[in-house]
Amino acid sequence: MSKYVVKATARTIKNYTKGYSDIQAKVRSATSNDPWGPSGTLMNEIAKATYNHNEFIEIMEMIDKRLNDHGKNWRHVFKALTLLDYCLHGGSEQVVSYAKKNLYVVKTLTEFQYIDEEGKDQGANVRQKAKEITNLLQDEERLKQERRNRD
Amino acid sequence: MEAHYPTRPVDREKAEHDLALNIKKATSPDETAPKQKHVRKCIVYTWDYRTSDSIWNGLKVAPILADEIQTFKALITVHKVIRGGHPVTLKEAQNQINWLDSCARSVTGDGSRGYGTLIRVYVDFLKAKLAYHRHHPEFNGNFDYEEYISLKNVDDPNEGYETISELMNLQDQIDQFQKLIFVHFRPSSSNECRIAALVPLVEESYGIYKFLTSMLRAMHKRTDAIDALTLLRTRYNAQHYGLIKFYYECSNLKYLTSLINVPK
Ligand SMILES: CCCCC/C=C/C/C=C/C/C=C\C/C=C\CCCC(=O)O[C@H](COC(=O)CCCCCCCCCCCCCCCCC)COP(=O)(O)O[C@@H]1[C@H](O)[C@H](O)[C@@H](OP(=O)(O)O)[C@H](OP(=O)(O)O)[C@H]1O
Ligand SMILES: CCCCC/C=C/C/C=C/C/C=C\C/C=C\CCCC(=O)O[C@H](COC(=O)CCCCCCCCCCCCCCCCC)COP(=O)(O)O[C@@H]1[C@H](O)[C@H](O)[C@@H](OP(=O)(O)O)[C@H](OP(=O)(O)O)[C@H]1O
Repeated sequence: MSKYVVKATARTIKNYTKGYSDIQAKVRSATSNDPWGPSGTLMNEIAKATYNHNEFIEIMEMIDKRLNDHGKNWRHVFKALTLLDYCLHGGSEQVVSYAKKNLYVVKTLTEFQYIDEEGKDQGANVRQKAKEITNLLQDEERLKQERRNRD
Repeated sequence: MEAHYPTRPVDREKAEHDLALNIKKATSPDETAPKQKHVRKCIVYTWDYRTSDSIWNGLKVAPILADEIQTFKALITVHKVIRGGHPVTLKEAQNQINWLDSCARSVTGDGSRGYGTLIRVYVDFLKAKLAYHRHHPEFNGNFDYEEYISLKNVDDPNEGYETISELMNLQDQIDQFQKLIFVHFRPSSSNECRIAALVPLVEESYGIYKFLTSMLRAMHKRTDAIDALTLLRTRYNAQHYGLIKFYYECSNLKYLTSLINVPK
């Protein structure tokens, strides 16, 4: 446990030294290397923030960074996909158009692979999630429907 | 042409530097698959900047052709970038036939590592693929069925016939190539580098198969002269069984099945 306190502290220090905004710090925490998933409350808060244009830009910048992280940080990638998926459903329309324009970033993750020190392939979850989002983004009707159901 | 500005937060200078590094890593002399993360960076680059010039330059400045494995990995990389890259990549690749030819010439016989024949056949296939796309620009590099809007060529029976039969030629070429790869497996090796070439072939052949199926169906609905399609039907059936066999053999390759879903 203390290990994660140290890591969270390190993250806080980094947020500060890199000058990340509050909402970016939240994205970083929702997409961290901690082995548990982000809370619904946190993701919801981030999704709501995408309705503010400045925060939308900051959020997307951070998600983009996480999506393109090294294999070693595969949890960053996986959680960034999870968060993106959440924002596609519960965030602003801008998230949808941004994600469509940059579909290739997600689509190219469908062959993501990372073999950890124990020889285990940690990429399967990323590949699966990337496929789901790619399909969703290519299916206008379904995406509309699912966004409507959210409201 | 006007420069394209990506909507993603990216930095061109850093991108160029990273690209060069990723090309080098993707085509390293280790007898392994080109790592997907390095190939991915190349693909993402073409979408961010809508050009592939730097990729070709990167391939040419590196001493790739002196080593069979590097050459083979470069061909796999090129194949994947053409398939997954921005449409401009496919156009620009048409100007790189000379480079492909020089790959084919770089090794005599089967080569000391056993990649000579595979390299030459891979080059033949890539050239055939490029020629097909040149004649039929309505298909994208990965024959992505979902993105295809209309099967407009099938409206004209003659053109439809030609589109289908040329696509079948390409499918036959994939089939010959994949068989050759299996023949070149070495019992003492994991064969990862050779299997890596099967990955885009599985995806490509399945994309083509889906197109052939729906184009043939559309032709049958439209044409009165069903007899004229007999030859295509016969070929289609043969290819169908060829694919089942190919995919079955691939389903026994752990490296491959862990990476992509092999169709059944
Ligand atoms: C007496 C008590 C002192 C108490 C001090 C208390 C302190 C309380 C403490 C606080 C923490 C303060 C700073 C901690 C700084 C680093 C902690 C190391 C974290 C760590 O495990 O780092 C290793 C790398 O290690 C090195 O490269 C090696 C790096 C070596 C670093 C050495 C650090 C030395 C710290 C020095 C302190 C210096 C102290 C000097 C003391 C002098 C005393 C007289 C990487 O480990 P990782 O891959 O597991 O961690 C990743 C990685 O860092 C990623 O880059 C990061 O993502 P980004 O932030 O996006 O880059 C991931 O973050 P998320 O959690 O958000 O997903 C991390 O989870
Ligand atoms: C009183 C006492 C005090 C004590 C203090 C001490 C203190 C001491 C503290 C010490 C910490 C010491 C050492 C820390 C050492 C290493 C940490 C770095 C680990 C390391 O190897 O980091 C390197 C980066 O290095 C730098 O950016 C450059 C990193 C440079 C790090 C330099 C550190 C220098 C530190 C100097 C410090 C100096 C200090 C000095 C001070 C002295 C004074 C008196 C990155 O490693 P990475 O593992 O994060 O990234 C890899 C890497 O990029 C691979 O290339 C990449 O694979 P490919 O894409 O295939 O190439 C991997 O991708 P996948 O995961 O997708 O497969 C990445 O995951």
